[in-house]
Amino acid sequence: MVNVLFFVLAGLAIACAVSCVYHKNPLYSAISLIGVLLSLACIYLTLAAPFIAIVQILVYAGAIMVLVVFVIMLLNLDEDKPLTRLRYLYPIGGALGVVLLAQTLFVFYAVTKAPHQASEQGNVIGQTMSIGTAMYTEYLLPVEIVGVLLLMAIVGAMIMSRRMREPNLELVEGSKEDGE
Amino acid sequence: MMNIFLAELADPNVSIPLVLPEMLLALTGILVMIYDSIRPGRRRVTGTISMVGLILSAVALFWIWSTPGQQLSAFGGMIVADSLRMSFTAVFLLVSALTILVSTVWVEREDVHAGEYHTLLLFATVGMMFMASGNDLVIIFLGLETLSIATYVMAGLRRRDLRSNESALKYFILGSYASGFLLYGMALVYGATGTTNVTQIALNTETAQFPALLLVGAAMLVIGFGFKVATVPFHIWTPDVYEGAPSPVTGFMAAGPKAAGFASFLRVFVLGFPLVVGVQASEFLHDSWITALTVMAILTMTVGNIAAIVQNNVKRMLAYSSIAHAGYAMVGFVGAGVAKTATGRDDAIAAVAFYMLTYAVTNLGAFAIVTLVARKNDRRTEFEDYNGIGFRSPVLAFSLSLFMLSLLGLPLTAGFIGKVLVFRPALEAGTSLMVILVVIAVINTAISAYYYLRLIVVMFFRERTEEWSQPKISTALAAVLAITIIGVFYFGIFGNNVIEMFSKYPVDVQMR
Repeated sequence: MVNVLFFVLAGLAIACAVSCVYHKNPLYSAISLIGVLLSLACIYLTLAAPFIAIVQILVYAGAIMVLVVFVIMLLNLDEDKPLTRLRYLYPIGGALGVVLLAQTLFVFYAVTKAPHQASEQGNVIGQTMSIGTAMYTEYLLPVEIVGVLLLMAIVGAMIMSRRMREPNLELVEGSKEDGE
Repeated sequence: MMNIFLAELADPNVSIPLVLPEMLLALTGILVMIYDSIRPGRRRVTGTISMVGLILSAVALFWIWSTPGQQLSAFGGMIVADSLRMSFTAVFLLVSALTILVSTVWVEREDVHAGEYHTLLLFATVGMMFMASGNDLVIIFLGLETLSIATYVMAGLRRRDLRSNESALKYFILGSYASGFLLYGMALVYGATGTTNVTQIALNTETAQFPALLLVGAAMLVIGFGFKVATVPFHIWTPDVYEGAPSPVTGFMAAGPKAAGFASFLRVFVLGFPLVVGVQASEFLHDSWITALTVMAILTMTVGNIAAIVQNNVKRMLAYSSIAHAGYAMVGFVGAGVAKTATGRDDAIAAVAFYMLTYAVTNLGAFAIVTLVARKNDRRTEFEDYNGIGFRSPVLAFSLSLFMLSLLGLPLTAGFIGKVLVFRPALEAGTSLMVILVVIAVINTAISAYYYLRLIVVMFFRERTEEWSQPKISTALAAVLAITIIGVFYFGIFGNNVIEMFSKYPVDVQMR
């Protein structure tokens, strides 16, 4: 049952990935990418990692994809025209793809060679509850520091994105054309 | 299901006193933020609250430092109270206090929203303090991110200036990239040793799962930290970022985050990857990082000094000078790594902390004057702008000359004692590599005389063609100049007192 589910989801992920690269319209690509991320999240669920699955949906399929779609809409991108200037990137991309494929095959090889360990029953590591308990006991201080970090990031973003008081003022470029 | 977890709840091992300095400062930051949102635009009040917070935090720090019988670690070993933390934290607090004083002039001149600036500065300081006090890779990374994000924004505070925007964007993109390296390195080290606690990492190198993984992780940590402390070949961002950022922020970036980077860098490498005689993985790792850092130190000093010679902009010159100084500090760092006894190692760590203190004091003094001379929008920062101001603004010119001489390392100034102390541990190790390192460091000091003295020559012996209106020295700036000048002489003549204090607590990890 799980095997069938895996192949269905993996096939969906690959199909979405291909469509993400294939489509010329950036918005279609973005939507295909959401498909990839969702099918990956489902695969995580079948691997008994519900927390990572939810985080995958919240962070990648949610927040980051919203950002991507916003950028596409704000920049008002046209259909992607093939750039002759960047032709030389094709062989580089191909070479990197071969390296990646070799790496994947090596991992497969290493995993099949390694002695099999049956997963312990009742292993709670990686589940939402154990992460929650660890965060509020063992890792209490880091969680507090993250609170400060996020607060400060919000303040920083506000400073950077606020409208300037005199929006028509020219930007100061270079140095010293005039004094004070 | 519920009961299993309740039974296994780990003790968070909270100790409020041990994180009191950090907590007080974070609370001050939040207080400044809230006050600023209720009554915006009161620069003096937010500045005063920040100063009070820094002073309270310093009091808490000295209380931990001087009370015997304090516990040495808390939060499951994530936070430690050792000499490394204490000495570096003292440097950070001093840097922030001086930066707030220096920026009073700039904040008023440029009409910066001061409340937010002070909040960012305080949170950046909290980040730096966690970088020094964290004995766990998690804390160190979070401290570093807190610091970095605050400094990215601070570099871009002059939003109307294209150079400031460029500075912030370059720093943000390259800095995030370096943080990625750092995080990946930490993950690999965790994978190899099974722990993020620095003390435990040192114990686990013997039984490291995959020595190669540990080595790659350590290499990535070198890249990440090397970027933060601006060492060659990870220094490319420094001149542009330092030139574009507002002058007081540049002074802060050169003094504070650099020292914080060194604090974590020292802790992770000297205490986390020590030499364990007889364990092959550990010996190899130790050998590799000592050699790598020695080469980096030589490159950093040489490239920094030679590039500084050809600069025509004072801020760029000081940026390259800060690269060179990171190189000198690394000599002490390597010295701490090769020290044969635990005392020798602690002395070397204290020497690096002292070096960062002397550099911070001198550098912030110099940047106070650069801020004052630069005028609105940071325009007058070329060497020409300093032509012949020597006898028209004698106070500024003589103080700047003093700071240049201290950066050069003239006897009786802070820079001299600092250099002697960081070179000594490397010399004591006695291996030929270390001797070569110190010889190159001394040659570099001689090279650096050219550009430091050039500024003095420009100020006193060049004719001024443009008009010079003497800038007004405000009370806050006078205080900064007084503190830094007294500091330069005090550390130069009575440096021993400070060094003794800096090596008072034993470092928690035993030498094996």
